[in-house]
Amino acid sequence: MDEIDEKIIEIMTGDARTSFRKIAKELDRSPDTIINRFQRLRDAGDIRGSTVVVEPRKIGYEGMAAFHIDASTSGGSKTDLTSILKTIIKMPNIIVATKTVGDHDLLAIGVIHDFDHLMRLGKEIAAIPGIKNIQTAIWAGGGEVCPRYFII
Amino acid sequence: MKFDETDIKIIRNLQRDARTNFADIAEECGVSVDTIIKRFQRLRRHGVVRGTTILLDPRHLGLDCPASLEINVEPVHVADVVDQMRRQPGVVFCTPSMGMQNIFAVVVLKGMNELNTLIEKTKTLPHVKGVKTSIWVENILLCPENFELEGLKVEAS
Repeated sequence: MDEIDEKIIEIMTGDARTSFRKIAKELDRSPDTIINRFQRLRDAGDIRGSTVVVEPRKIGYEGMAAFHIDASTSGGSKTDLTSILKTIIKMPNIIVATKTVGDHDLLAIGVIHDFDHLMRLGKEIAAIPGIKNIQTAIWAGGGEVCPRYFII
Repeated sequence: MKFDETDIKIIRNLQRDARTNFADIAEECGVSVDTIIKRFQRLRRHGVVRGTTILLDPRHLGLDCPASLEINVEPVHVADVVDQMRRQPGVVFCTPSMGMQNIFAVVVLKGMNELNTLIEKTKTLPHVKGVKTSIWVENILLCPENFELEGLKVEAS
């Protein structure tokens, strides 16, 4: 990755819809160069995609929650974490999910309408086979959203 | 502001790919491109849409150590510690929280050494009682489309 790649990333982090022509002009390169570079960054997986940043509070979400999840062990081996993870990320309102190493096995972050909704979401996760324990952290609002890497 | 089918379709399309042509969205909605442009501007003006961005894979950028921290702080000093944490390089998200610990933070760092340094530093901040760490491993799954939009009312602003 060189300076041009870094500039493209910087500009598009601020506005993913910036036209390639405009980026080209700013970097004093041809639009084709920018398009090729962008494609390369996408193909390599450096850029995972692009998205719109929505303000959760404006669409009826009062807060967010982080679910720290411990999986149960059966017959001396851990439950299949990957399949639990895949189930969780498909749940409405869960926007980030990952395996973790440390105090817990999995982490899921979701957006929360209200307390009723939080309780329901917690119950839904708890109902997934293979989950032993959930510790929840909640916070009001969408936090200081910083979507450079994740959509939180 | 009233939120209708067209607004939802705009957001849904852009959640999947922020560079989607407005012409394509217009066709899907059966309205003019101008309408889509105006609607998008209205969503921005009302703060429903804060902007568009690309999502980067931290590991591809040499940042091999994404992690979340749960920090336990003496309750009256939470805001102070959140402020200090937000100033640390590599901290991408930090908020007061309720639960077993009272601060939740997400960090993206080069490696274990940097993470360890940050944790040690955090532990020495005044009023910090403890730090729990979860290092994010393998694929981090993201799903911006999991926001529920249907049937929601947008608050007037």
